[in-house]
Amino acid sequence: MSAHSQTSGLPTPLALLIKVNALQAWRRLKSVRDQSRLLTGLIGLSIVGYASLSFWLFYKGLRFIKTFPGLGTLLTERLLFLLFAFLFVLLLFSNLIISYTNLFRNRETSFLMSLPVPFEAIFRWKFLESALLASWAFLFLIAPLLAAYGLTHRVPWHFYLMTIVLIALFVFLPAVAGSWLAANLARYMDRRAFQITALLLAAASLVSAIFWLKPEPVTDEALETRVLVVLDRLLTKTRFAQYPLLPSYWLSSGVLHWAEGALATAGFFALVLLSHVLFFGCLTFTRMGNVFYDAASTVQSRGSVLSRWGWFRAWRNRTRSCNFAAGPVESALNKLFWLRSETRALLTKDIRLFWRDTTQWGQTLVLFGLLGVYIINLRHFSHQLTNPFWMNLVSYLNLGACSLNLATLTTRFVYPQFSLEGKRLWIVGLAPIGLPRLVKAKFALATGASLAVTIGLIWLSCYMLRMPWERTLYFTCAVAAMTFTLNGLAVGLGALYPNFKEDNPSKIVSGFGGTFCLVLSFLYIVSSVTLLAIGSPWSRRQTTDQMISCTVGFGVLSLALGWLPLKIGLRKLVKFEL
Amino acid sequence: MLDRRDACPIARSWKEGMIELIDLVKRFGDLTAVNGINLVVPRGEFLAVLGPNAAGKTTTIKMIAGLIKPTSGTARVAGFDVQMQPLEARKRMAYVPDFPFLYDKLTPWEFFRFTGQLFRMDEARLQTSVRDLIARFNLEPYLAKPIEGLSHGTRQRIAIVSALLHDPEVFVIDEPMVGLDPQHARVVKDILKERSERGMTVFFSTHQLSVAEEMADRIAIIHQGRLIAVGTRDELRRQSGVPGALEKAFLTLTSQEANLSEVPAALQ
Repeated sequence: MSAHSQTSGLPTPLALLIKVNALQAWRRLKSVRDQSRLLTGLIGLSIVGYASLSFWLFYKGLRFIKTFPGLGTLLTERLLFLLFAFLFVLLLFSNLIISYTNLFRNRETSFLMSLPVPFEAIFRWKFLESALLASWAFLFLIAPLLAAYGLTHRVPWHFYLMTIVLIALFVFLPAVAGSWLAANLARYMDRRAFQITALLLAAASLVSAIFWLKPEPVTDEALETRVLVVLDRLLTKTRFAQYPLLPSYWLSSGVLHWAEGALATAGFFALVLLSHVLFFGCLTFTRMGNVFYDAASTVQSRGSVLSRWGWFRAWRNRTRSCNFAAGPVESALNKLFWLRSETRALLTKDIRLFWRDTTQWGQTLVLFGLLGVYIINLRHFSHQLTNPFWMNLVSYLNLGACSLNLATLTTRFVYPQFSLEGKRLWIVGLAPIGLPRLVKAKFALATGASLAVTIGLIWLSCYMLRMPWERTLYFTCAVAAMTFTLNGLAVGLGALYPNFKEDNPSKIVSGFGGTFCLVLSFLYIVSSVTLLAIGSPWSRRQTTDQMISCTVGFGVLSLALGWLPLKIGLRKLVKFEL
Repeated sequence: MLDRRDACPIARSWKEGMIELIDLVKRFGDLTAVNGINLVVPRGEFLAVLGPNAAGKTTTIKMIAGLIKPTSGTARVAGFDVQMQPLEARKRMAYVPDFPFLYDKLTPWEFFRFTGQLFRMDEARLQTSVRDLIARFNLEPYLAKPIEGLSHGTRQRIAIVSALLHDPEVFVIDEPMVGLDPQHARVVKDILKERSERGMTVFFSTHQLSVAEEMADRIAIIHQGRLIAVGTRDELRRQSGVPGALEKAFLTLTSQEANLSEVPAALQ
């Protein structure tokens, strides 16, 4: 039979996999033609807008830094070293997560494992795919920066070509490290143990950052008379980015030396990168097949690592014995006696699903956690924040940052809620509660949870800026209105543009409605913060008319983008057909 | 030339069994999903595997397909140890899961070519094999359409055709009739039976007792990870002591086993 009639001259399995997946990617790209023109236009506009805006900002920033006599070059260099060092870490995490998903939670991988494709070939393909998926955003992020750097430093044309080569070599290294880490973490850690370790590591990093990032006490006299000494002290904490064994150091040095015309030195760093890529690439392409198979088999075979511990088993047995009792969420919601029981049931389900989906609360925690750390650190700027101009500016920027974070989360998690419910419509949709109430319950829950976080952060910001109570109240009202609007927009558009074909929320978000929601949210935030800042009651150049018109403008905008989509969405649901 | 299976001492019994499960055990932490299964399926046999939900059927199949490693014991396909010589084993077998993966943006024809090339089939053989199968499965109208737009039943047919393309010696299929209309279910049954008569060993797991009764040369019943019965329909009826429909024999055997496993717990 088959095994006895094999033929030579056919492409290798890796070549076949690359070919078939490239064909798939090409057809996906071509299918953009069938999508809504508005969506394609919006996406195109966002890409061009981002590239232009970031290029302009980088260009202005680098030119500004260059004007510092004697320090411009040093500061620019240090910024590049820092940027590439942080991007290396980000790429490593990105590769780790994407490799893990691609190797162990992917249906194509399982399919290929049942075919006569060597495990090495499967691993090689998945490695290449993960590296591409994890790195394209990095290239998109740094392209405007390098273009701006090239223009400000008047580099020759071949600088851009060489930079592409250096970056192509560089992105390979975190991809290798990420895939190796993913295979070994999968082999030795189960999901829960990994989550706990990740949380502990994040907490440890946070604590060490708080201790490490202490402000440098600098007097006005030192700032005027001993600039170089002060600068050297300030830059000491960024020296880690110039550790010579970091791949980001080789990239930064290669780029900087090529820009300066030191081609031999730049060539040396390119060769350092190349030799590491060849060495680790060879190991990855020849030694990881069996490691991958062992890990894949372990992932599918494991019980919980924690179940080896007595306390965990006891806790699990106790929870099992309580299976028929109401859980803590349900018990807490039962105290809200004014809510109908079916609404409480819906809320309980949504809270449980949120809590059990690590991605949801993990990303929420990271986004708002970072913002919280930033706001707490405002205390270190006590000297600068005595100036009313800076205080005013920072308070409005904080309002904007808080809302932008919220917009990311409402688009990512609140918008797809109704579409995801569509898969469960056989139970929820047919229950005697009606779809409008289902959506209203989702709006209430999302808004309530968001308000707790956004108002908390704004209070913290006002407290750190030592603002009087009337200003705190003003910002609280502003952020509350924005929270209502952003949630209303996400829930309303989610009901207007449902997608019941997809199980994956990120794919639902990437459709027309999700993109539209994100763009509208960002436009709303920029317009609102601008209106509020122009109409600020604490601005000295303010007229009463201007203040009233700006406040009314903000109110109208909030109603138009929050209440209106929700209202139209709810009306559509009355006549909804699946 | 000496076949590697003749030279390999652990593959000595390949002429007797195309699928050999020897003391096969699979544990997921505390849970033992497959508990010491011993089974030999000879060349050309059509074996149906029955069992209640979570009995260990799919886990057994995954170990035969080499998707997961056994905790202990051995699974061999066509005389090759699935763990020691995975490529040799997988060249000779085909596996169709209950929800098979297909590349959504490819057309069925492109998918067949891709699978055939992975099995190192030459163009002429691929064409002959595909043409015959697509005609029987009525796939001509869909050959140039993207898979993403096809119904569940059509996708299932595509998966079965792609698995049969390389004329496997061992065919392992999990719930083959899911999503198929009666006409195509008949086609699947006929093709599998024909191939089985020509020497292909079929190992299929199902909950449909009627299909097992109609198609299988032997029926194996797995319950709580153990192989509690294996034999022809008549042998199973005799073993259960219940004449008549296979359903009664199946229910009796699985309930007897459940009662037996509860005895030690009760004694403790």
